[in-house]
Amino acid sequence: MMTSPFLFMARMIRDALLVIALCLFAGQALAGSRLLATGGVSQIEGAAGGGLSPWGVLAGSASEGELAATAFISTAPLSDYTLTAGGIALNVHDRLELSLAHQHLALDTLGGRLEQQIAGAKLRLFGDLLYHPWGVWSLGVQHKRLDDGSLPRVIGAHDVQGNDIYLSGSKLVFAALAERNLLLNLTLRSTRANQGGLLGFGGDLEPGRTLVAEGSVGLFLTPRWIIGAEYRQKPDNLSFAREDDWRSLYTAYFFSPQLSLTGAVLDLGAIAGLEHQHGGYLSLQFAL
Amino acid sequence: MKRLVLALAMTTLLLAGCGQRADHATLYDALGGRPGVEATVENLMYRIADDPTLVGFFTNTNIDHFAASLEQQLCDLADGPCHYDGPPMDRAHQHMGITNADFNRLVGHMEQALIAEGVLLGARNRLLGRLAPLHGEIMRRQSPPAH
Repeated sequence: MMTSPFLFMARMIRDALLVIALCLFAGQALAGSRLLATGGVSQIEGAAGGGLSPWGVLAGSASEGELAATAFISTAPLSDYTLTAGGIALNVHDRLELSLAHQHLALDTLGGRLEQQIAGAKLRLFGDLLYHPWGVWSLGVQHKRLDDGSLPRVIGAHDVQGNDIYLSGSKLVFAALAERNLLLNLTLRSTRANQGGLLGFGGDLEPGRTLVAEGSVGLFLTPRWIIGAEYRQKPDNLSFAREDDWRSLYTAYFFSPQLSLTGAVLDLGAIAGLEHQHGGYLSLQFAL
Repeated sequence: MKRLVLALAMTTLLLAGCGQRADHATLYDALGGRPGVEATVENLMYRIADDPTLVGFFTNTNIDHFAASLEQQLCDLADGPCHYDGPPMDRAHQHMGITNADFNRLVGHMEQALIAEGVLLGARNRLLGRLAPLHGEIMRRQSPPAH
């Protein structure tokens, strides 16, 4: 169990080194040929995506016959909470993405914390972000498990682990607006997660799965710099606390194929009975 | 939040205003016309020659002929005064064992060549948008790469 951000970072670095070691062991160089920014950044659950939602692209810049790995650390100080997330992802031949992430939600006002582990896999079904007329489409799964589910159970969550399944599509439209490239993303997710899983899975209002839609648009002002907006619909399973959809306005800058920084303003609505959870978001991604 | 939305909207409008100017000229003009396209293609040839992964695809290629054909194709695609009369893309590339990784490398070199020849971002995006559909044709008849 995580106790401090320092331990958290240490573990992330250890995991990243493990992935690199595995790749070297497999005798394959970590190098990608895909163009800058076509792997997106890391979303809070560890998949390649925006900040809130997975995208159809796979992590890093790996293409056919190539491997890529990414590691990220994100923080979102909200009105009454602080969310910290970190993780790693491995892209195998631009076909399969495997990811591990850890989320830590500090309950600044209520006291205490909630933590969950997320193991993800994303399979590219077909397409290409830039070249296919329909873009790139992927099918993903996220297995989530709370470290300590006692608080979510008290407020009515049925389970302390769950699986999200999602279909995600992304398409870059060249010179779409003012001769700038426009990035479109759509994700459909089947989930039982309350607040992404941090408040458990299922509840008295809805014990089963809900199909939710997530989407984002982004405009590349330059090949390195994108601004945009994201929206993530959420289920509403608990009568104890209403759950709202998540919204963000984001900007990301790709300093190099190896380093990107994402900033956003978030509006996450009500969380566990506390209304108007607004805040900032910062995310750093390293790629190999 | 509202102020940010407003700022984003203003930025978009401003950018849209800048984009209007390009409508008077063709993309070919924005690429620098004939000298611009020739310089870009020459620049690209040097980048390919320096890329050990890609240069092998051109061992049996007459480079002068290839460069002239590519110039004609770019001119045609960019609404210039040319008609591309070379072979269709699927036939030109069939069974070469080109992977998506190879394709991506070439696009990366093309982008760098355009930048090096001073082609502005808007024109680069428009050209890449017109080249993008060729991916499907080029990759259609690839035999699996030999290992």
